Amino acid sequence: MSGGGGGVAQQSAHSLAFRVMRLCRPSLHVNTSPLKFDPCDLLFGEDLFDDPIAASHLPRLLSSQSNPSSVDPSDPSYRSRFLLQHPTDSLGLPGLLVLPQSFGYMHIHTCSIFNNALDNVLVEAEIQTERQRILLLDTSKSPVESIRASGRYDFIVEHDVKELGAHTLVCTALYTDGDIERKYLPQFFKFVVSNPISVRTKVRNVKDITLLEACIENHTKSNLYMDQVEFEPAQHWSATVLKAADHSSEHNLLTRETFKEPILIRSGGGIYNYLYQLKFSSPDNAQLKVEGSKILGKLQITWRTNLGEPGRLQTQHILGNPITRKEIELHAVEIPPVIILEKSFLVSLNLINLTERVLGPFEVWLSESDSLDERAVMINGLQTTTLGEVQAFSSLKLQLNLIAIKHGIQKITGITVFDTIEKKTYDSLLEMERLISILYFEVGLFCGATNANLIFCKITSYQMGLRMFSGPWIHLWTTVKDATRRVPLYGRVSIL
Amino acid sequence: MVGKTSQEVLRRCPAACKCSPSTLLLALEEPKFFIPARVSRPGLNAKIGKSVTASVADLACRGAWRTILDKVARSRSLSLLSKPHEHLIYLTFNLLSLIKLRRYSDAQQELQTLDDDLDSKQYLFESYPDHYPNQKAGSMVPFALRWLHAHLPLTLGDRQLSLDRLYSLLHFIRDKKLPQNRDSISEVSLTLWKKRETFVVNTIISYHLSQKEFKVCLALLKAEISKNEDPLLVSQLGYVQMQYGDLDGAKRSFEAVEKMVVGSESGDVRLKNLVSRNKALMYLVEKDYISAVREYEECMERDELDFVAINNKAICLMYLRDLSDSIKVLESALERVPTVALNETLVVNLCSMYELAYVNHADVKKTLSTWIAREWLPMTLILRVLGFEVQLFEM
Repeated sequence: MSGGGGGVAQQSAHSLAFRVMRLCRPSLHVNTSPLKFDPCDLLFGEDLFDDPIAASHLPRLLSSQSNPSSVDPSDPSYRSRFLLQHPTDSLGLPGLLVLPQSFGYMHIHTCSIFNNALDNVLVEAEIQTERQRILLLDTSKSPVESIRASGRYDFIVEHDVKELGAHTLVCTALYTDGDIERKYLPQFFKFVVSNPISVRTKVRNVKDITLLEACIENHTKSNLYMDQVEFEPAQHWSATVLKAADHSSEHNLLTRETFKEPILIRSGGGIYNYLYQLKFSSPDNAQLKVEGSKILGKLQITWRTNLGEPGRLQTQHILGNPITRKEIELHAVEIPPVIILEKSFLVSLNLINLTERVLGPFEVWLSESDSLDERAVMINGLQTTTLGEVQAFSSLKLQLNLIAIKHGIQKITGITVFDTIEKKTYDSLLEMERLISILYFEVGLFCGATNANLIFCKITSYQMGLRMFSGPWIHLWTTVKDATRRVPLYGRVSIL
Repeated sequence: MVGKTSQEVLRRCPAACKCSPSTLLLALEEPKFFIPARVSRPGLNAKIGKSVTASVADLACRGAWRTILDKVARSRSLSLLSKPHEHLIYLTFNLLSLIKLRRYSDAQQELQTLDDDLDSKQYLFESYPDHYPNQKAGSMVPFALRWLHAHLPLTLGDRQLSLDRLYSLLHFIRDKKLPQNRDSISEVSLTLWKKRETFVVNTIISYHLSQKEFKVCLALLKAEISKNEDPLLVSQLGYVQMQYGDLDGAKRSFEAVEKMVVGSESGDVRLKNLVSRNKALMYLVEKDYISAVREYEECMERDELDFVAINNKAICLMYLRDLSDSIKVLESALERVPTVALNETLVVNLCSMYELAYVNHADVKKTLSTWIAREWLPMTLILRVLGFEVQLFEM
């Protein structure tokens, strides 16, 4: 209770000693087992009074219960330690206060040990941390005139602890005690300050809404009652707290107002999460690119512990993710379902202008950043497509003729759009993954019942398609040549 | 100590005779309970039965636990008890005394002499038709025995088992006893079972509170309050709210209590003091100690036995840096009204103050405990004072 440190060895030489006690708020005593009983529960079988005859005797007996005020206080009766006065006595919460038992605040006083009266006492108290010294009390201007023999001088100091780590409370007294010389007594009380809570934040952007999730963790040994947790947004930001819908609204019968469930964070590692929705609203809208203002705001947290002991914490600035406004978007409108290796295919795209000004004209190509070996898809034909202007908030369609040079699952990527007026390049707008198939098949030609010897045949053309239920098909045209003529043959193969 | 009978104790403390108006049993009436008026069975057994159970209750009122243990042991060895229910009652008192004396493993052994199932046939009136010919069927187990059976594991370190048993007991009361209609049991019995329900619920809340499981406590308290708006119970809700820090909630609870008490105009001093003490607590959290002291002084004027007010006033004085006066308040209470002031919390607070006030506080604490031991026998009180343990026994 009195803090550690405090030289015992010094007491023999000094007529004075410091006693320190932390004045936290007291707490309410809880008695787990007052062990008080109703006499009916002890002396009779529990079902005895089911019998109406027995029951009729009971009120007469109980009416002779003595009135507490008639009890003589000096009478050695411990009835109150045994009999249950009221059924709620078993809760064991009579409202008794208990002094705090662990080190904390600074109720300090000096007590005089020996018989001499002490004169002209100058007391000083100061807190030292690694970084600074803070003076809490200084009586040099108005010294204590005297402390009589075995007397005391009490004082209370208050200090808001703001630093972490080791602190030392130094109490010094300068006094005269009958001898001519002035004596000097320093006493040291050490304690450590650590973080009561830690706050972790996560910022997420969903379209144009920013969501801030704050997780508060309790490192102390007592439960924390969250009195107020508020997010103070920075300039141009507005915040609303998002809470789960509370379906259980109990109406308190006494006060007729809804009791809200207290937010209590359990001691030693309990956590609670808060969710805030933040909106950015700047007066001059799109010009103010938000890349500069990443600061979202601060969290102000106030909590209470036993008997309302308050605590406060303010976080540092919380930073958000930089938002880059999109100006154009590229969407794929139509892609062929089956893409065959080395067979060109058409891709329809839609370019959308998200800004409020006219953009373009554009040039579109596939970027050449990858080496030729690595690219899977190339533009078939003119490597650069030109697009006209796109009006504000409207779109334009374009088509790209592509050809795949590698099979397997490949990415169609690297579509680059270049704004020729603003000289701005937009890449990474669109990426698709598709299966590039290779088709190969064997065709066997059988000679029918003719005498002609087949000399030559080739496949002249083929056509491919996709049928809904039977899948892809391929038509072949062949010519067969014999000595005399060429005969076109037609065959159809279904690819399963 | 062995062999002292209740008569000898009574001789030494004549004042104690005055305080045995046994709210429990008028000794002369007792036989009629267990044997209906039509059939009287005078005789040795009945007489011994009556004096024994009446005086055991008396001894409990005086805190003479060891005497109870001796009495029970003697009655058993001399086979003075004839009726089955008497054995049970004696066992209950024995168990209670052992627990009060903190002899928990002995209590466990005592409990093990019983059947595990307290609902078994051997504990029913109807199993002994010879002894109870006209008694209605039912259990002869004293309810306190069930409670002690549930509470004992906590004392031996198994809180979970105690909590399980208490909840089972609560369900037993709610499912089996309370739903019975008026035909099968009397109004009186129903009232008793309702009281027992409150008793068990409050014990459960106390368990949760000691582990700081505040949300459960709140839920249970609110359920109780919705059934019965009792000012004491609502005050206790306020205390729980204060304990975890919800000062606004506590304020609302205390205001509700005030409305209830002022509205009833019963003039009950205890309720008036309750309202004052609640007000004082609100002043205290706002650090207005002077107003708090004023409220407590009013309480003490109305009722000098209000030890909560005495204790809390002393603490307020301490926070006002008036350490010497705070010590005086507690010391004078111990002298004037020792039976109520001898409360563990009060003594712990006094010793905390001694530690602060005196450099040689160990000596002062020893003086205090010797004084208590000398002045206040017979009594069973164990003071655990900051590691300085004083055990007081009954002579």
